Amino acid sequence: MPEIAEGKPRRSFLDLLLGFGALGFLASVIYPVLRYLKPLSAAAPGGPMKLTQEELARLAREHSLIMRFGSHRVIVFEDPQQRLRALDARCTHEGCTVQYVPGETVIWCACHNGRFDLDGRVLAGPPPRPLARFAVARETDGAVTIAPEKAES
Amino acid sequence: MSAFGWLDRRYGLSPLVEFMRHKEVPVGKHSLFWYYLGGTTLFFFGVQVATGALLLLYYQAGEQTSYESIRYLTTKVPFGWLVRSMHCWSAHLMIVSLILHMFSTAMLKAYRPPRELTWVTGFVLLTLALGFGFSGYLLPWNELAFFATAVGTDSVKAVPGIGDWLLQVLRGGPDVSINTLHRFFGLHVVVLPLLTVGVVGAHLLMIQRQGMALPVGAEQPRRGMRFFPDFFLRDVLLWLLCLILLAILAVFLPYGPGVPGVEWELGKKANPLAPAYPGIKPEWYFLWVYQLLKEFPPHFLGMEGPQAALLLVTVLLGCWAALPWIDRRAQRDQPSPLISDAGAAAAVFLAFLTLKAWDIGGGAAHGGQPDPNLVARACSFWTLGLTALATAVRALRFGHRHFAFTAATALQIALHGLAGLSYLAAGGIALLALLPAVALQSRARPEAKP
Repeated sequence: MPEIAEGKPRRSFLDLLLGFGALGFLASVIYPVLRYLKPLSAAAPGGPMKLTQEELARLAREHSLIMRFGSHRVIVFEDPQQRLRALDARCTHEGCTVQYVPGETVIWCACHNGRFDLDGRVLAGPPPRPLARFAVARETDGAVTIAPEKAES
Repeated sequence: MSAFGWLDRRYGLSPLVEFMRHKEVPVGKHSLFWYYLGGTTLFFFGVQVATGALLLLYYQAGEQTSYESIRYLTTKVPFGWLVRSMHCWSAHLMIVSLILHMFSTAMLKAYRPPRELTWVTGFVLLTLALGFGFSGYLLPWNELAFFATAVGTDSVKAVPGIGDWLLQVLRGGPDVSINTLHRFFGLHVVVLPLLTVGVVGAHLLMIQRQGMALPVGAEQPRRGMRFFPDFFLRDVLLWLLCLILLAILAVFLPYGPGVPGVEWELGKKANPLAPAYPGIKPEWYFLWVYQLLKEFPPHFLGMEGPQAALLLVTVLLGCWAALPWIDRRAQRDQPSPLISDAGAAAAVFLAFLTLKAWDIGGGAAHGGQPDPNLVARACSFWTLGLTALATAVRALRFGHRHFAFTAATALQIALHGLAGLSYLAAGGIALLALLPAVALQSRARPEAKP
């Protein structure tokens, strides 16, 4: 009978449909989970950011300060010429927070001994890229603002 | 009616009891000691579950509560310090036991057919154990934990294609924050334990079905030791000794031995805006990766240094997981002395990097930076000395005759530590010297015992 002869292709066609159904089901479970796992990105500050009074006092006291700038950590410090500078504080090697070493006028990462000059260029150690620079401006009223270098130029 | 009879009639327990009654451990010329190490690892895992459950009664995950609740637990709660100390010590001892178990299994070539999947599930358990260590480290939310997690999670960005996505998923944001702690807490107390119980179950089931492996070439002994009660009682005795050791360590050294990577003083609370402090180190079993990250230059073979370092780590671990398929001789139940030697060389490789990560001999215990050349020299003396000793024992006691991998690793250490070459240049030269030696030796028929 023709039904029996066609039984096999029909079965494999149904298997194929079932396979697609199973894949679709898996995708409909996995996709929302993957989207759920990734957190929403934090809103980056649109323009320059002003240091608070507390941050200014700390900068005057310790000559360097690490602060948040959107999703960045930024190190603001006073170089030997008393100019303010700012760099991304996240080491380009493995993401530790760097620090300013005034005695050696270098930016140093304690995790894997990476060293950068005050412009963020790699001097020694394993970091593969320079630290991103931020523009710092001191207003006439003493307020200090920082902004990404690109936005300033 | 006995309780057993009641259950037996309903669930047919008799075949299971019969199976356990006839279960035997093969007794031959080989030492039985290595058969106990899986059990001790399981014992320490049991301690982790029990002490972990107790810690959960007081621990509160949160920016204002994680650090504070651990401080309250260790300073105010009766015996809180003991529970935490047991949990930490047992975690380290579990990793020690697991590593010994894994190395002894590798040396006995117990991974050869038909036990390949037992080896692979064991490898998965190693990664789960490392995941437990890594995720648990962050939970007290102190300074040390914060940077160890910053470095550890940052390394996933090296994964091609999905690195950034993975980093964000792991951290719950672009940076390590309290969101990371919540994710790690979930992993540490729910996801990893469930996975571990499942994989341990599979691992044990495979061992029950296949029995203990014999060394390569050993004849199946006519009689073995009965598992119940003879072997099991020995197991329990060893667990008791482990518990005593754990209790002594937990009571007398409640914050660890004070060695970097083996300490759990609470220290300062994590401050995401504080710089990393000098001498920061991950836990001891990650030190070799930490040191490797330091040894790689900013760029290597067209990759960024950290990416190249982590690729090397992945390849090495991948080879280790695939050992049952790499070791062709063991597949045919023949001795594979080159693989045994590669295992010994792996231990030398790990030991040197770990010692170096501890800055041994750098002359800067307090303040200041250790001198990398002095560290390399001191560590190479120690490692070469220990390697010479271990090689003599292997040659005299176990009749080993193949040392190409160990010799190449020793050559790298000598060139780096004593001749002052960079670690990678020394490694390149050692690799070039190794290739012809391995080609020659793998052609020759192995005459030595594995």
